[in-house]
Amino acid sequence: RNSRPVLIVYRFRKSRLEMANAGGAPIMVMNQSTQRESGRKAQLSNIAAAKAVADIIRTTLGPRSMLKMMLDPMGGIVMTNDGFAILREIDVSHPSAKSMIELSRTQDEEVGDGTTSVIILAGEMLHVALPFLEKVKLHPTVIVAAYRKALDDCLSTLETLARPIDCENREEMLRVVRSSLGTKFVSLFGDLMCSLALDAVQTIAVDIDDSKKKDVDIKRYARIEKIPGGELSDSKVLSGVMINKDITHASMRRTIENPRIMLLDCPLEYKKGESITNIEMLNPADWKRYLEIEEEYIEKICKDIQSFKPDVVITEKGVSDLAQHFLQQANISVLRRVRKSDNNRLARATGATIGHQPDLMHESDIGTRCGLFEVRKIGDEYWTFIENCKDPKACTIMLRGASKDVLSEIERNLHDAMNVARNVICDPRVLPGGGATELALAAALRSNSQSMHGVSLRPYQAVAAALEIIPKTLIENCGGHVIRLLTELRAKHANGKHTTWGIDGVKGRIVDMEELNIWEPFLVKSQTIKTSIESATVLLRIDDILSGVSKGKRDPAGGGGLQQQQTDPETFGDERDG
Amino acid sequence: MSQLPINGVRRVGQEVRDQNVMAVSAISNVVKSSLGPVGLDKMLVDEVGDVTITNDGATILKLIEVEHPAAKIMVELAILQDEEVGDGTTSVVIIAAELIKRANELVKNSIHPTTIISGYQRARKEACKFIADHMTKKVDTLGRKCLLEAAKTAMSSKIIGLDADFFAEIAVTAIERVRHVSEESKVEKKDAKGRSSVKNVNILKVHGKSQNDSRLVDGIALYQTRAAQGMPRSLKNARIALVDFDLRKTKLQFNVNVLITNPENLEAIRDRETELTKERIDLLLDAGVNVVISTKGIDDLAMKYFIDRNCIAIRRVSKRDAKRIARATGGRVLISLADIDNEGGEVIDESSIGVAESVHEERIGDEDIFFINGCQTTRSQTLILRGANDFMLDEMERSIHDALCIVKRTLESNRVVPGGGAVEVALSVHLEHVAESMGSREQLAIFEFAQALLVIPKTLATNGAYDAAELIANLRAFHNAAQTQENKKHYMWTGLDLTKGQVRDNFAAGVLEPAMSKIKSIRFATEAAITILRIDEHITMNPKVNPKNPAGDEM
Repeated sequence: RNSRPVLIVYRFRKSRLEMANAGGAPIMVMNQSTQRESGRKAQLSNIAAAKAVADIIRTTLGPRSMLKMMLDPMGGIVMTNDGFAILREIDVSHPSAKSMIELSRTQDEEVGDGTTSVIILAGEMLHVALPFLEKVKLHPTVIVAAYRKALDDCLSTLETLARPIDCENREEMLRVVRSSLGTKFVSLFGDLMCSLALDAVQTIAVDIDDSKKKDVDIKRYARIEKIPGGELSDSKVLSGVMINKDITHASMRRTIENPRIMLLDCPLEYKKGESITNIEMLNPADWKRYLEIEEEYIEKICKDIQSFKPDVVITEKGVSDLAQHFLQQANISVLRRVRKSDNNRLARATGATIGHQPDLMHESDIGTRCGLFEVRKIGDEYWTFIENCKDPKACTIMLRGASKDVLSEIERNLHDAMNVARNVICDPRVLPGGGATELALAAALRSNSQSMHGVSLRPYQAVAAALEIIPKTLIENCGGHVIRLLTELRAKHANGKHTTWGIDGVKGRIVDMEELNIWEPFLVKSQTIKTSIESATVLLRIDDILSGVSKGKRDPAGGGGLQQQQTDPETFGDERDG
Repeated sequence: MSQLPINGVRRVGQEVRDQNVMAVSAISNVVKSSLGPVGLDKMLVDEVGDVTITNDGATILKLIEVEHPAAKIMVELAILQDEEVGDGTTSVVIIAAELIKRANELVKNSIHPTTIISGYQRARKEACKFIADHMTKKVDTLGRKCLLEAAKTAMSSKIIGLDADFFAEIAVTAIERVRHVSEESKVEKKDAKGRSSVKNVNILKVHGKSQNDSRLVDGIALYQTRAAQGMPRSLKNARIALVDFDLRKTKLQFNVNVLITNPENLEAIRDRETELTKERIDLLLDAGVNVVISTKGIDDLAMKYFIDRNCIAIRRVSKRDAKRIARATGGRVLISLADIDNEGGEVIDESSIGVAESVHEERIGDEDIFFINGCQTTRSQTLILRGANDFMLDEMERSIHDALCIVKRTLESNRVVPGGGAVEVALSVHLEHVAESMGSREQLAIFEFAQALLVIPKTLATNGAYDAAELIANLRAFHNAAQTQENKKHYMWTGLDLTKGQVRDNFAAGVLEPAMSKIKSIRFATEAAITILRIDEHITMNPKVNPKNPAGDEM
């Protein structure tokens, strides 16, 4: 299967060649490098490419999913079963395949989970349209209209299927996160990862002022630090932040309880002004004075800092040796060159405000919520822990594990899990997993189609069939009997009552999701269906693929006279010969 | 060829004309299948593999690299139509190509091109007059519904066609809100409709969600986020200052040196650098400003001043956005704070501070977007588009842009014509009558012009895989009746129904286009056709050879 991407490339190249050979175009109106594929051929090649992309990642769906190992051009390896991470690494040349890959990016950025299912679903949506284009010869706009209608119906059905969940109830939340992680590598480590994700998200959730909505900014306030070594079970969510830095001066304190923390984003060293200044010294004493001014400046800012009696000073910029000396004398520990993003997290965790000029700070800018400041050596590196914060609104998740590659995969999984938790907090509704939702939607579409008529009926029903690809793939991946299980499930769903019945992806039998407790966030599911159907409609509407066009390079009208003269003779030369 | 007195290749007469026809037909064939509600999209891939999916004629032609000079004229024609009208780019190319093709046939039958040209010109004049006199209805009498329908017609062929109701509402609302009646025109009582600039509707694209989740924001939305995380996420009763100068440490201009002799002064310069910025910020904040939006940078050192006072600062906003904000909030972009009355002093004028009810930051998809709501005027609108991926969003933007242009044109021209090929068929029938009344050779040209216009309904029907010949015969019968029999005048609005493959009254069905767009596209198409028709010789110069290097291999 891993050879698939190459195959796409090849197929496309070949068709390009054919075009060129069969060419003999009567007149070179367009640039010779422009290749064209039009009509049915374009539609079919689009569908084939989309399907090929979907096939690459089909085996990574569900609890019995397998990882993919990929070698990048630099020789690094990526091991993952995260749909987006796989597709990101693949270099495809077919434009539709590219469009498909973009989908999983959208999904990843919008909800952070379901990147595999969105691709599989979109590929299948296109695939089921194939017979209509090839045999029945329906107009693509008819198919698109039917898909669109099906999407609307799906979304309204989803509303009725959804059930509310109590965000405060840890058990319920864990269950949802667990369902998402169930398909991942880390599922072997049980509840640990789930609680990590949930803890982290609940730590950083803040109310948006005067509304009931919560804001969860995972990107900014939850950082994952991977430290190879130790065991996975050593991983934890810190109630605070850790940074990969050591104190600047060896004799500063390494452990402080309830420290007063001052955050700065200015250098603690002498910096010349911005303007170009020249000094003309007429007196040798001036030179000495000049050097003294620098020292006096450092001394002054250190005094300013001392007046707030901080125990720890953390700055984003550098700290000069002299400043280190002064601060060390004052028994203050200093960390320098901290990242801006780390500093922001520190500010949220400790309640400090980042200052720029030590003389303009206030007492309120000092962070006091931290319980323990400690520098520890883990493996080969020094890490500073700012822990036990009271009500921290930012956190670091420390991951331990065997190797870097494994940790990277765990990080991706954790990221998905955190996004799932975030989605549930933002919209506390869930839907049954294990393909049950898709089957329920398919059943709803089928019963809707009973009352429809006209040419759009069959593509509408085809959407129902396409939705079944999710349970079907789940069964395939765990080695179940596809036809038997699927028909059984269809029968269950047909009367519209057993909407929670789906596939047990581990054992390969049908089961009620109430029992198995597989729930997925509403936001993820609805986004998956929206994205997949809409992207299918975009690709179906295409009837012409022109490649080799230039983008933005074109001369403005009338320009480039010389260039025109140079290229034209060639063109007409060909024509005259032929 | 060597006997030629010119250094190049020269071709004359029929050969050139044939070649031109081939080139323009090729161009028109590229865009043909994207015409109409059942037209399909094109996927364009550039050298690096970037993909554009589009249905817009001008966009397609802009992207493909055209080499033939006659074909280039066609591309420019489409671009012209795009700039002038904003829509109808595909149809203008198709008509022009058909006109040229038919003219070439006439030339082959020994009719001089100038005769054809004068015939075409005559036909164009008649056509435009006929549209203006007989085919239009006033927007005033039809109301808002008519605008919505015109927008829907423009979108019907696009990716957003299936959600046309939703997007038409957005487009019309946006244009209505940005409409601006200038003071002078109010006094003079002319141009009472006001002008609405499509540019005032800003379009942001964020992927994710579905296209139905797109929304229109009454106010401004920017991609930017606040400059520091410590600033508040939202503020009520915002007073906005727009600054176009640096709020970084003051730096002397390039090449200005300060020469000092006393080292103490160096320190003074350094302090002054920071203080100047602080004074400026204090001046702004003391004037009650709580949102500072800068087109330039804001120094990190300044962040704390804002955070301490619970204010928001945004940096590196584009100038265009800054102007837009100024327009909406009634503020002014401050170039400097210099005070004219007090030499060297700095003031801030109350009138230059913009006011908005609230500002807030919101996370949409993976982006942080800053909103300014409840502005003083509705002259700036922002449309946030959502969709499955970037290609789709780009195409949605183009489609919405077309729709906005059409709504604007409809408002301006105040007249609409039926779509779906109705106008073209009516013109064709009318021009045939005109041709028959002419006794000169121009008759033939006008007749061909009439035939050429039928290419639009023909292409529409073909794209929908319907029997074009039968449908057009049917349409022509209706229009002939409408033009000859007084009591059947209402047949005039008959056009194609492309979902069913029948003919119907397109006015009743709500398929409308602004009259101006129709008239202009016929005018542009004819002019382009004439330009190409006048050509009877083609000289291609050989590339100039460098005199110092006659072999020219190092050019």
